[in-house]
Amino acid sequence: MKKQVGLLYSLPQILWLLVFFAAPLCIIIVYSFLKKGLYGGVEPQFSLEAYTALANPNILLVTWRTLKISIIATALTLLIALPCGYSIARSKNQAARLFLVIVPFWTNFLVRIYAWIAILGNEGFLNDILRALHLTTESVQFLYNQTAVILVLVYMYLPYAILPLFSTIDKFDFTLLDAARDLGASRFQSYVRVLLPNIKSGLMTAGLFTFVPIFGAYAVPLLIGGKDSYMLGNIIADQLTKTRNWPLASSISMTVTILTTGLVFLIAMRKPREQKQVFDADPAFLQAVPAGKR
Amino acid sequence: MVKLRKVLLNLSAFALICTLLVLSGCGGGGQSKTLYIFNWTYYTPDSVIQKFEKEYDVKVVYDTFASNEEMFAKLKAGGANYDIIFPSGDYVSIMIKEGMLEKIDKSKLKNFANIDPQVLELCDFDPGNQYSVPYYMGAAGVAVNKTKVQTYDRSWSIFARKDLGNHMIMLDDMREVMGDALKYLGYSVNTTDQKQIDEARDLINNVWKPNLLKFDAEAFAKSFASGEVWVAQGYAESIFAEVDKANWNTVDFFIPKEGGPSYVDSMVILKGSKNKDLALKFIDFIHRPEIYAEFCDYFGFPATANVPARALKKGESWYRPEDLLNCELKEDVGADLEKYNAAWQTIRVGK
Repeated sequence: MKKQVGLLYSLPQILWLLVFFAAPLCIIIVYSFLKKGLYGGVEPQFSLEAYTALANPNILLVTWRTLKISIIATALTLLIALPCGYSIARSKNQAARLFLVIVPFWTNFLVRIYAWIAILGNEGFLNDILRALHLTTESVQFLYNQTAVILVLVYMYLPYAILPLFSTIDKFDFTLLDAARDLGASRFQSYVRVLLPNIKSGLMTAGLFTFVPIFGAYAVPLLIGGKDSYMLGNIIADQLTKTRNWPLASSISMTVTILTTGLVFLIAMRKPREQKQVFDADPAFLQAVPAGKR
Repeated sequence: MVKLRKVLLNLSAFALICTLLVLSGCGGGGQSKTLYIFNWTYYTPDSVIQKFEKEYDVKVVYDTFASNEEMFAKLKAGGANYDIIFPSGDYVSIMIKEGMLEKIDKSKLKNFANIDPQVLELCDFDPGNQYSVPYYMGAAGVAVNKTKVQTYDRSWSIFARKDLGNHMIMLDDMREVMGDALKYLGYSVNTTDQKQIDEARDLINNVWKPNLLKFDAEAFAKSFASGEVWVAQGYAESIFAEVDKANWNTVDFFIPKEGGPSYVDSMVILKGSKNKDLALKFIDFIHRPEIYAEFCDYFGFPATANVPARALKKGESWYRPEDLLNCELKEDVGADLEKYNAAWQTIRVGK
């Protein structure tokens, strides 16, 4: 009896996933195995062409570039989010600080991208300041290259990394840091060897929350990027809207989905070992086990 | 964690209240009919739309697209119920072939007679104009910021100039850019000859692209107006919509002497439109000489498609109808589009 009620509770979620996730995914899978229609759409005829076309050196180059940009941007995001999350967790007015992290979401994503164009442009604020300080006479070309794309991607996804990191760090028992210092660890050592292993799950979540959307980025490389910043998201959109090759758009989407879910699975598989490490550092556990058995 | 949840809860409650307030604000309004238009960005002035709304006591919903391909993909994906669309000729023929268009009853269009017969003659994509009524004939050209670039040749060769490197931009539009290169090399913009397409590809990749900041069909006019870009290939209407009126005298817009791909954009009625009569009224309204002149004046267009409007125009035009003489109408190249796709991919992907 109880079980049936549980199923009922999860029904909205199951329906949501079916309609907005499973069904579209199935359509993409089916389309990727069909023949392309001359004017877009698909012909009901089995074809592997969309997958053999993936071996095209242009697409491989873009995949490599996308991977590179995503890894760099994710690493930078985590590097900035970690001290942010830590300082929020240790601060007295957490609510106010969290609020500040969330505030940028009130402005539309595209508006914030255009704001960056206004800041970084040749006639933008940053160049104005540099010229006013006589650091440069000519404008510095900040926009329309990969560095600008990475910068704006880091900005966009920073909150997604700060929030999970904060919630993990918030649960961390900070007296452990003092204990580590008492036992002779330097400040740096206490962070790296006690704090980091304990918030590994938060780091993983934050990494996923940033890597996955960045891997599918479309608007940022389109508006901020230049000739060298064409990413997988742009190829998919162009195949769908410009070159009218829906099966190829689907097969590239499948590749992106498989790569990112593969990553999620890999991290999920690592979970058990992590939890053990968390347990290892738990002082209650340490006390409970006689010294000789440790 | 509790605190995070509390903050999020408060925020979502706030958002919900805001949404409710906004929704309750825009309920009401018992207007009889709504005409759904899907048109290019910057292509019909608001004043014209408002006049139409007032005269016929209807509401017009005006959605925009940046390229034919985008428009077509959205319609193909379904779910869009527009009444009037403004595709270019090559897409009119595709949409006719795909059975997406409603036949147009020309007996209901009093002002059809105002349309330039020379333009009608060019409508090979829809012989006899059974499905489409020409809206405007034009071509993308080159805008130059004269304060930054003093001497230049009015030719596509401007994109080969290394001294303007990283200050030039071209549209992220395959047929337009490939067409420019093909015309510059003396070929047809509708060629299906692999060798000619390869030659155009190499010209763009090796000579033009190294000097370009990027390919952009979304924000090129904004970049030009901000001074970031000095030379932009694109549409006059987009450029002058973004550039401040006080600075218009610093802009030179020209159609390069070699010509390029030109277009006849037409008004078509989508099959399944619920407001066919109203759509016909709108098409007829556009070709009223005074309305057409207002539209052309707003964008600085020559009145290419409507003859009596030419006498009513008050403002100047950015280019003359004669400038289009060397241009060539883009046509649908069918399955040979694959050749263009492959060439364009190397242009967009590479470094």
